[in-house]
Amino acid sequence: MTERLNRHDARRQADFDLNFGKEVAEAPGGENLYECIQCGACSGACPMSAYMDHTPREIIGMIRSGMKEDVLRSETVWLCASCYSCTVICPRQIKITDLMYSLRQRALKDNTYPKRIPLPVMARDFYKMVHRHGRTNEGRLMTNVYLHTNPFDLIRQTPLALKLWRHGRMHLRQESVEKPSELRDLMQSVK
Amino acid sequence: MLLRDEFSKNGDIRIGVYVCDCGTNIAGKVRVPEVVEYAGTLPHVVVAKEYKYMCSDPGQDMIRREIKEQKLNRLLVAACSPHVHEETFRNVAAQAGLNPFLFQMVNIRELVSWVTKDPDKATAKAKDMIRAAANRVLFHEELEPLKYHIKRNVVIVGGGIAGIHAALLLADSGEHVYLVERESSIGGHMAMFDKTFPTLDCAACILTPKMTMVKSHPNITIMSYSEVVEVNGFVGDFKVKVRKKPRYVDEENCVGCFECIDACVFKDARYPNEFDFGLGKRKPIYMPFPQAVPPVPVIDADTCIEFKTGKCPKECLKACGERAGIDFAQKEEIVELEVGSIIVATGFDSFDPKKMPQYGYGIYSNVYTSLEAERLFNASGPTAGELVLRDGSKPKSVGIIHCVGSRDENHNRWCSRVCCMYSMKLAHLVKERTNADVFNFYIDIRAAGKGYEEFYNRTMEEGVQYIRGKVAEVTDNAQTKDEEGKLVIRVEDTLLGMIRRIPVDMVILSVGLEPQHDALEVTKMFNISCSGGGWFMERHPKLAPVSTMSGGVFLAGACQAPKDIPDTVAQAGAAASEALALSHKGVIEVEPNTAFIDETLCSGCQVCVGLCPYSAISYDQEKKISILNQALCQGCGVCAGACPSGAAQQHLFNDSQLMAEIEGALAGVL
Repeated sequence: MTERLNRHDARRQADFDLNFGKEVAEAPGGENLYECIQCGACSGACPMSAYMDHTPREIIGMIRSGMKEDVLRSETVWLCASCYSCTVICPRQIKITDLMYSLRQRALKDNTYPKRIPLPVMARDFYKMVHRHGRTNEGRLMTNVYLHTNPFDLIRQTPLALKLWRHGRMHLRQESVEKPSELRDLMQSVK
Repeated sequence: MLLRDEFSKNGDIRIGVYVCDCGTNIAGKVRVPEVVEYAGTLPHVVVAKEYKYMCSDPGQDMIRREIKEQKLNRLLVAACSPHVHEETFRNVAAQAGLNPFLFQMVNIRELVSWVTKDPDKATAKAKDMIRAAANRVLFHEELEPLKYHIKRNVVIVGGGIAGIHAALLLADSGEHVYLVERESSIGGHMAMFDKTFPTLDCAACILTPKMTMVKSHPNITIMSYSEVVEVNGFVGDFKVKVRKKPRYVDEENCVGCFECIDACVFKDARYPNEFDFGLGKRKPIYMPFPQAVPPVPVIDADTCIEFKTGKCPKECLKACGERAGIDFAQKEEIVELEVGSIIVATGFDSFDPKKMPQYGYGIYSNVYTSLEAERLFNASGPTAGELVLRDGSKPKSVGIIHCVGSRDENHNRWCSRVCCMYSMKLAHLVKERTNADVFNFYIDIRAAGKGYEEFYNRTMEEGVQYIRGKVAEVTDNAQTKDEEGKLVIRVEDTLLGMIRRIPVDMVILSVGLEPQHDALEVTKMFNISCSGGGWFMERHPKLAPVSTMSGGVFLAGACQAPKDIPDTVAQAGAAASEALALSHKGVIEVEPNTAFIDETLCSGCQVCVGLCPYSAISYDQEKKISILNQALCQGCGVCAGACPSGAAQQHLFNDSQLMAEIEGALAGVL
């Protein structure tokens, strides 16, 4: 990865990958991507845009310019709350929420996701758990996420975990569907 | 036995086939040499040639020369659409001494090369179509074009600035014009405006003189409060039925003193004036605006007490007295006009912002449309030119939102073209009248026009804030103290890359233009077509911008596409000159595609008599057969299709020609 540049440093075209835009446009959610007129209605409508490092509009612009690294490492993709306000308001009918999901998958697949927030790891661990057992276990999921991101935080969370456990709100036993192998076959076939 | 074989017994037919490359338009997809070689093998074809541009002078020369040298008596050109060059090659045939109707055009561009991806399929289809046409021309006959006199009257539908301008031009050059307007006054949208961009001319000051000229012009008949209900006939000879709605005031007798309005039993105006979008009030008897033309009041039967109860003291009638202008007994009237050409100038509707609830129109009282703002700014409007909030106070800050309903796949796809400029004008007027802070929210500024960019600069110098971003929402949900009691505009400032919340007192929505709500019915009535979105379609977007596919029907103004006043006036001038060119020609040649009845075959069943929509067929009691009047026939082909004995036929499309063409097209599978 190229080193992080300041916002106004000149960007070298060699670091951009124009194919990235085409790939994203062809993936689900990428329809009409190249018709974006950069009006910013999505960003204005987004309840999460205040917390994002790039507004949704900027993300689309960056995708089209081929800023693969910057897009996949952006926190925006992971902060999307799936409220679909952007999709409803978009004058070019771009499915921005779907696009965010598509980018999440791509980021996990390429192992290029922001390290500063636990959301990508949580998404990955969640998927693994469901894929293996067909059921989630919140206690185990969060334990895994903390172990994979910030083990020290796990210690800080222990009192809360004990409290939940005492009230019968947390179970450590991993439940599973009856035939996990069938579920795996199912997942395999839709991949 | 196939028709072709039957035919080959009689006469020496010599066909010339000319296949055009159209540069790479055709040759890029169709393998033209292969097609030419194939055409040369078809029966009766004595010459088959390829040329890069058949419509060019050398191409035409080649055809003319070979018609004479090779003694060709049938001509077949495989090139573009007949809309483009049928006329050209008919002339070529005529110049070479060949009857132009022995020529047939084969469209291998629009119907083949432009719409077929695979070169093999394109080449095969081109061959099929040429084979079909080569079969068809065997049965072509020598015909003479029909000639009609052109009536020197013009009907103009729509009395906005387009209709007014075209009417004056035509009337000045001696044509008689019927100007049909749906509303009670001519003037259209332009009459609603206060100022016009970019020169800030007062709209009324430049429009009303023209309106008065229309009224006093001896060659113009204004038919206000009227609608076209039926159009028959064809270029040069249209019959247009106009429904005159009752206005209950006699236009002949009314002197325009307006004493009736003053006398009305309603002392105060209390009904919403449609012309002001309900911002102002009117009485049941009223003028929509002071400069209305004709200056004749109109009575609204829905609100007039006399019409509702029959018990009104009828003060208006008394005030009018001997002048006898008021006529409660007036009835709807149908007038039939006979005209040579028609100019359609029906204008536009504005987008209904209630379809975008995020902007709060109809929810927050201080959200206005741009047209409502125009009425507020207008000196003869409901506030006498003052821009005020609903509570009567002046706004301290105003947000103007561009592109409302335009450039939006959820609503209208097109750019409405005038909104950027009129938004700047409104911003300027807000500054001028109230000195409020003005924020314009735009996606892109489109200021292409003489003096437009300069006007944009001027408004920026005046302190209008331009923020690039499509507004996400207008809300009264205050988050801070300074937002309380205000309308908050939430938008991404896309140039600064940040989300902004801007509190304002008033929001003006720059609503886009869209076709009139009944545009589809209008197209059916005038037999014209629509382009994307419902705008009326011109014959050619570049080279025939005011003509339509219907001869003698022309377009002017925003009914064809959104346009500003200068462009509308220019187009109205073009439409007037097209109509004038037509009427000065005096005579028009029309394709001889009329029907005829073979007396020897007619059994006298009279099916055609009842079906003919133009009453061109009658029954001869003595001969016991149907008789067709060529002068009335429009060539619709209904009789030919219905005749059980094949007696009714249509020139250019008779049974043997069509069957031969089908046989040729299907020769590969027969």
